[in-house]
Amino acid sequence: MTILALEGIGLTRRFGGFIALDSVSIALRPGEIRGLIGPNGAGKSTLMDVLSGRAGKSASGRVSLFGQDITGFPAWQRRRAGLARSFQKTNVFPDLTVAAQIGLAARAAETNNAAEVIDALELSALAGQRAADISYGDQRRVDVALALVGRPRVLLLDEPAAGLSMAESLNLALLLRDLAARWQVTVLIVEHDMEVIFSICSHLTVLHLGRILANGPPEEVRAMPEVITAYLGSSAA
Amino acid sequence: MIRIAVFLAAGAAGALLPNLFGSPLLLTLLTQAAINAILATGVGFLVRQNGLVSFGHAGFFGLGAYIVALSATNGWMPIGVALLLAVVAPTVLALLLGAAMLRLGGVAFSMLTLAVAQAFYELALRWRSLANGDDGIAAQLPDRILGLDLSVFQQPGSMFVVCWIVLMLVLFGLSVLIASPFGTLTLAIRENEERARFIGYRTLLPRAAIYALSAAIAALAGVLFALYNGFVTPNVLYWGLSGEALVMAVVGGTRAVWGPALGALLFFLLKNVAGDLTEHWPAIIGGTLIIVTVLLPRGASGSIALLMQRMGVRTA
Repeated sequence: MTILALEGIGLTRRFGGFIALDSVSIALRPGEIRGLIGPNGAGKSTLMDVLSGRAGKSASGRVSLFGQDITGFPAWQRRRAGLARSFQKTNVFPDLTVAAQIGLAARAAETNNAAEVIDALELSALAGQRAADISYGDQRRVDVALALVGRPRVLLLDEPAAGLSMAESLNLALLLRDLAARWQVTVLIVEHDMEVIFSICSHLTVLHLGRILANGPPEEVRAMPEVITAYLGSSAA
Repeated sequence: MIRIAVFLAAGAAGALLPNLFGSPLLLTLLTQAAINAILATGVGFLVRQNGLVSFGHAGFFGLGAYIVALSATNGWMPIGVALLLAVVAPTVLALLLGAAMLRLGGVAFSMLTLAVAQAFYELALRWRSLANGDDGIAAQLPDRILGLDLSVFQQPGSMFVVCWIVLMLVLFGLSVLIASPFGTLTLAIRENEERARFIGYRTLLPRAAIYALSAAIAALAGVLFALYNGFVTPNVLYWGLSGEALVMAVVGGTRAVWGPALGALLFFLLKNVAGDLTEHWPAIIGGTLIIVTVLLPRGASGSIALLMQRMGVRTA
């Protein structure tokens, strides 16, 4: 039996009376790139938060990483165990240079591949600049670099292409696909750009109103009437 | 190497000052400014590396001063051990307090620093059998301290040199720390604590370590104060002193490690000049603080650094 790269069982998160995530279970096989899609408010970012430890004790359910139960781990410990993430809103260190912050992230990881990541994400020319002084698109790449450095075993990407042009989005997506394959990283990616999702994902999970609506290969999921209804509206079904 | 050369040159230049200025009044002023520069450096370092404002560093300053005075007067331990304890005890206390108070952060943290320092002030004021209340303690210091004659520590000309050397060592140590991986980590935590956790770092302990280090620097200043004055009162624990140190740090600027020390020098010069003009000199200090905050948000050191940057000179 193959050990799952990442498994979440019965994940639930409430905000007062509102259930943002309702007993969601998800399982990723090693090496797969899974797309997590759904309309706004479906619970995608909440699921990322619960998996990565950002939700803290306000969430319930069980999370395991390559068979290791990490449910009680805080965020820093999950990262050291090999579970990394990027954020929906750019989340970098504005006053540090690009090289300094990627180097800092590399020192916390077992594999110090800062130079490799800087090179792979085409950040070499910006290495000496403060993150606050570079463009939004470049900051997005720094955000991804912070998650990717140290070769995590599982990478959670929350809308990495948000705010980028169509060409930039596709380039970033293809780059991530290549790096994930080269470094054997399992990826769970939230993205609204369907071109990005269909170009790199081998499997899709659709969330709707805090529950899983569908699971499967992109072609099958795309054809499911309930997905079309939830995602595109009843007129599209 | 450049850093060492700069600090050696600054240390030597400062040590020559007493030979240039014969005025005992000016030397007294410079010595007081140097002691307060060390205290302000501790306060400013906390702002720089943790992004936190302390209203209670007088607590660590006063604790250091009282430990020296009480130990020497009561003969509890050799003076060398007392000097060490006077720095170590406030540092350990700050580490423990920091581990609890830093979980709150922001204004709540600042208020807690104020409350803790005022608790020590009240303790010194009311525990007369130990600290002699607001009459204070005339410390019975030994004739020789660390192999030097007591007069070295109590004459403004020689004490200024001692304080200046200590200040240079503190600034050098901090500049090395800032350039180290630990300095980068604490700066990153100040910038974005959540992201620091998500790249794999525990954040509370480094923040508490910075708070403890800033407290150690304040306690060191308190030790020098006790040696120089030979007399301590509860005023060394009072929030007013914490406030003055914060004003010095703001006026000098906290982005450069030497900014608060420059602020202390400016503060004492302004206080002296304004004191000659009017008994309401605090109003002039307050006005200056407002002007600096509005017109020079990076403080005096930040403005100097900006000027040097425009001239193509790189600053630490």
